[in-house]
Amino acid sequence: MPDSESFFQKNEFLIRRLHSLSGLVPVGAYMCVHLVTNASILNGSETFQNAVYQIHSLGNALFAVEWLFIFLPIIFHAVFGFVIMFGGKSNLKNYRYGGNVRYVLQRATGMIAFVFIFLHVFHLHGWFHFDIWLKSVVEPLGGGQFLPYKASSTLASALQASFLIPTCYVIGLLSCVFHFANGLWTMGITWGVWTSPNAQKRAGYLIAAGGILLSLIGLSAIAGFTGLDAEKAEEVETQMYENAVEGKRIPAAPHKFYGHDENHHEEHN
Amino acid sequence: MIANANNDDVTPVRFRVKIKRQDGPGKPSYWETHQVEYEENMNVISVLQRIAANAKTADGKGVAPVAWDCGCLEEVCGSCTMVINGRVRQSCSALVAKLLRDQPDEITLEPMSKFPVERDLVVSRKRAFQALQKVKAWVPVDSYVDMGAGEKQSRADQEKSYPLSQCMTCGCCLEACPQYTKIEVLREDGESDADFEKRQEEANAAGFIGAHAINQAMLFNDNPTGKFSKAERLDALTDQGGIQMCGNAQNCVAVCPKEIPLTTSIARAGRSVTVHQIKKWFDS
Amino acid sequence: MANEKVVVVGGGLAGLSATMKLCELGANVDLVSLVPVKRSHSVCAQGGINSCNDQTRQIGDSEWSHLDDTVYGGDFLNNQPPVKEMAYWAPKVIDLMDRLGVTFNRTHEGFLDRRRFGGTLYKRTAFAGATTGQQLLYALDEQVRRWEAAGKVNKFEAWDFLGPMLDDNGTCRGCIAQNLNTMEIRSFPADAVVVASGGPGLIYGRSTMSVMCNGSAASRIAKAGVKYANGEFIQVHPTAIPGADKLRLMSESARGEGGRVWVPRKGQDPRDPKSIPESDRYYFLEERYPEYGNLVPRDIATREIFDICVNEGLSVEAGRQCVYLDLTHIPRAELDRKLGGIMEIYEKFQGVDPRDVPMKIFPAVHYSMGGVWVDFEKSSDGGLVAGSPRNQQTNVPGLFAIGECDYQYHGANRLGANSLLSCIFSGLFTAPGVLNYLSSSKGLGEDKTTSLCNDEIAKHKERHESLLSQTGGENPYMIHRELGDVMTKAATVVRRNEQLEKAYETVCDLAERANKSSLADTGSWTNQNVVFTKSLIDMFPLAKALVKGALQRDECRGAHYKPDFAMPPLQSTDDAGRRQEAEKWCDKFQANIDKWLKTTVADLTTGEPKITYEAIDTSSIPPRPRLYGLVGAEVIDEVWKERQRKAAVGNATGEKSPQPVA
Repeated sequence: MPDSESFFQKNEFLIRRLHSLSGLVPVGAYMCVHLVTNASILNGSETFQNAVYQIHSLGNALFAVEWLFIFLPIIFHAVFGFVIMFGGKSNLKNYRYGGNVRYVLQRATGMIAFVFIFLHVFHLHGWFHFDIWLKSVVEPLGGGQFLPYKASSTLASALQASFLIPTCYVIGLLSCVFHFANGLWTMGITWGVWTSPNAQKRAGYLIAAGGILLSLIGLSAIAGFTGLDAEKAEEVETQMYENAVEGKRIPAAPHKFYGHDENHHEEHN
Repeated sequence: MIANANNDDVTPVRFRVKIKRQDGPGKPSYWETHQVEYEENMNVISVLQRIAANAKTADGKGVAPVAWDCGCLEEVCGSCTMVINGRVRQSCSALVAKLLRDQPDEITLEPMSKFPVERDLVVSRKRAFQALQKVKAWVPVDSYVDMGAGEKQSRADQEKSYPLSQCMTCGCCLEACPQYTKIEVLREDGESDADFEKRQEEANAAGFIGAHAINQAMLFNDNPTGKFSKAERLDALTDQGGIQMCGNAQNCVAVCPKEIPLTTSIARAGRSVTVHQIKKWFDS
Repeated sequence: MANEKVVVVGGGLAGLSATMKLCELGANVDLVSLVPVKRSHSVCAQGGINSCNDQTRQIGDSEWSHLDDTVYGGDFLNNQPPVKEMAYWAPKVIDLMDRLGVTFNRTHEGFLDRRRFGGTLYKRTAFAGATTGQQLLYALDEQVRRWEAAGKVNKFEAWDFLGPMLDDNGTCRGCIAQNLNTMEIRSFPADAVVVASGGPGLIYGRSTMSVMCNGSAASRIAKAGVKYANGEFIQVHPTAIPGADKLRLMSESARGEGGRVWVPRKGQDPRDPKSIPESDRYYFLEERYPEYGNLVPRDIATREIFDICVNEGLSVEAGRQCVYLDLTHIPRAELDRKLGGIMEIYEKFQGVDPRDVPMKIFPAVHYSMGGVWVDFEKSSDGGLVAGSPRNQQTNVPGLFAIGECDYQYHGANRLGANSLLSCIFSGLFTAPGVLNYLSSSKGLGEDKTTSLCNDEIAKHKERHESLLSQTGGENPYMIHRELGDVMTKAATVVRRNEQLEKAYETVCDLAERANKSSLADTGSWTNQNVVFTKSLIDMFPLAKALVKGALQRDECRGAHYKPDFAMPPLQSTDDAGRRQEAEKWCDKFQANIDKWLKTTVADLTTGEPKITYEAIDTSSIPPRPRLYGLVGAEVIDEVWKERQRKAAVGNATGEKSPQPVA
């Protein structure tokens, strides 16, 4: 076998295990935190804004954290997910077993999750924060709508633009949660945590319960933002922003409040 | 179709058998329909025997008899595995009355789709046996001279091992596995047997070893002497095409005619290789 | 010794154990088999494997006693040195199989569990559930795979053995075989050939044997000059599940674990068997054989079941002959643990749970005690000389036969759980002899080998082509069916000379017709038609040897039962009268021994059997009457023992023991 082909083949086991692991840590773990944070909107936009302040207190390090611990692992997980997917051939037609249904769903939800996460990050975050990228690509396409210091209001406006958006978010969310939960269950087999059929069944029930809970958390976040009064939220956020900057809780970063308008361009970090 | 009542079952006088045929390796496959008189207690083997003795299609055209594999006819040799009404199983234990109850009038027979077809319903399962070699599925004894009995074993251990050792390499688990995909190498003009075999083996080595081989690796890792080669087996399980290819669809355990706890073996192997690899990382 | 090549034909227990031992001793092996070796017929053996063991020893068992049971069960037709060697090796064979990882059932303390089998009063039989043959075969298959990985074995699976290659001196120099897919015919030059091709059950159409047990390899070497012995001794297993394509074995272990055979006292009693009270049940084996009960030797159990159905009209069903084999009094968990495999077979193929409902069973052709004639070299202690090339060698130098296809170990009737032993033992024991043969024989030289190979290939190709092109109009499958019918009717449980004579004629006619087969498939790829037709044609010499051997043997011995020549029970009711009758009985018995205690040896080179008889080595245990259940058995036994004692005294003063033969 030529060397050029064999890197993946030689390290197949390691890569597959890293793929499996990355689904739990950091990707899955991040998703849990992310959904819980977002669900804090139920307690009002102030709570949510505080949570976002917390995250953004990292300042410039946030960029590195985002890429190293979130985006790159997701991309790794997704790319090898596709490799795995194309290595198999589903046969649900003749073998309609629960496990086989989940096998197919895992791949289907993986693909949905891939598309959803790509769009979701683009829609709210924009992937990169270079001006030229934001100005010429992201904003014209309706992306990068989230302003960290106007967290609730920008999210609410983004989600309320059309009923299609929360619909997509619900589908995306449920896919991600299923993919995570089922992945966690199969991971337990792959790594040898639960071995017997009974243990696997018990683990399955437990994980299903966790998955339902996580779905509810995520759905409530979506509902929270979809039903939020963006104007009122913005008032709260404006008040908080000034206090927070004065109180040095957060670094002053006007683009995170005003967005990337010409007016605040000079203050960019 | 005339039906006559026989207890609760309704069995037909005759029925159609649709067979997916192929004249040789690499040749195109085609469907052919035969008609067979129903007999009491008939299984798919006796259907094929009737067709062999009188090879005519349903419309009366004489054809070459259908080729198929069989051996013990009591579901312990594994030879006669094929895809019957879309699902993989042994044809000896596939009773016609039951098949017709699930799908009236017609039975479809196909060769297994994951192995190269030799002819009609005959496939080559060499890859499945090759995998057993790869995982060193044997007890590495010093010699066959008299050295007394083996180690004592608890009843519980025996009851754990016995089911695993019932695997007859029939290929059902592999046929039903979405992660196990067909590898076929065709003979080139003038290629010698040895060269052709070598090429096949190389191609097979890259593919998934399959649930049966993982199960055998665990069987021998559990054996008091077999476990002396545990590390080699675990290395083989993490080599290319190893246990990492498993997608946890768990079809294997659902179709296994011997009800071998394949997914338990897979999970136990998963645990073993996890520990083994971590140890290797730190210890070597 | 490193480069010597041995061809082993057949990959069942015998072939695989010989292969692994040959490899260990340094030979290279080409293993030729009709099927992937893991699918060999040995997988069907269910019950277990016998040896004297530490538990039975405590209550008086010994290897000697295993030998005694085997030859007594075999009605003294066995040459005793090989049987003795086997009985003494048995514990070692089981130890080895245990080391190879066979998942034998265990006792609570962790020792091998044992069960009782027919023809013995001891629990000698080690077992792995009810799939012991499968488990033993897999252990050997794994070892051979290990040698394959090491490059010592080349497997040729899906190859049909077409015949041996003999040089001008009649020495075997390898063989010819044909690939079942590519149809290629090629030579396998070798320094020795070991045939381990199993039994010829297909001669009977349906039997408990697998479809590849067609006897073709044995027939093909017989055609080349190897003698065929005791062909008429075919074991009909008492308990099988009748089926359209096969008669599926219901292991003797079902009775070994407490299964009881019975019929309702009223024939075809329409009641549900479970509702029939004990008083209306006829446990005929237990009543007729109080000592052995349901575990009488197989030939007797078979005859009794046959008798109950055919002569007494007590079959359970009207349209079909069968009796109940009842396990329903045994707890389910125990059945699952010890007999799971056979419970499943019954359930799968009959659709009825035998844990709840008594099974319906009937005898079926099961095993051939007879087979290829092989030699042995007797040691001074009455066993075999280890490493002697004479052991298991046929009359053709360089050609060996082992396993079910040889005639050596089971005499006129095989005891349950002795076949797995004889197969593994003969394989292991023969290997050193084969190597010693190699080191003492000279090679043929390259040129002569090449021309021999070319000639033989040409001959077999010609036969193949002519079969493909001939148009005689006969359908080989129909002829096979007819052969099975005539053999099953005339040459199974009860044999009568008129029937055998007629059967012989029919078999000869069928043989002629088989030669005129027209093939539905004339293709050159995976042509199963032509392979089957060849094997069908080669069934006839064996079938003829069987029928002719049975016809000529006017006596009852083991599985060969001719009611016209049966030894009668004692009639007299008073002691003196009985004694007198017993004396006469013993005279008759002695006369019969003198006349018939001989191996039937058939020469099949012309296709028509030429039968001669050969003396048997009974040097360890003198023949005695087999008296299971006979009226007056005690008196006969007494008289016979007295005569033996007298003879022993005579021997002590004169000659020491009978001269060994062979």
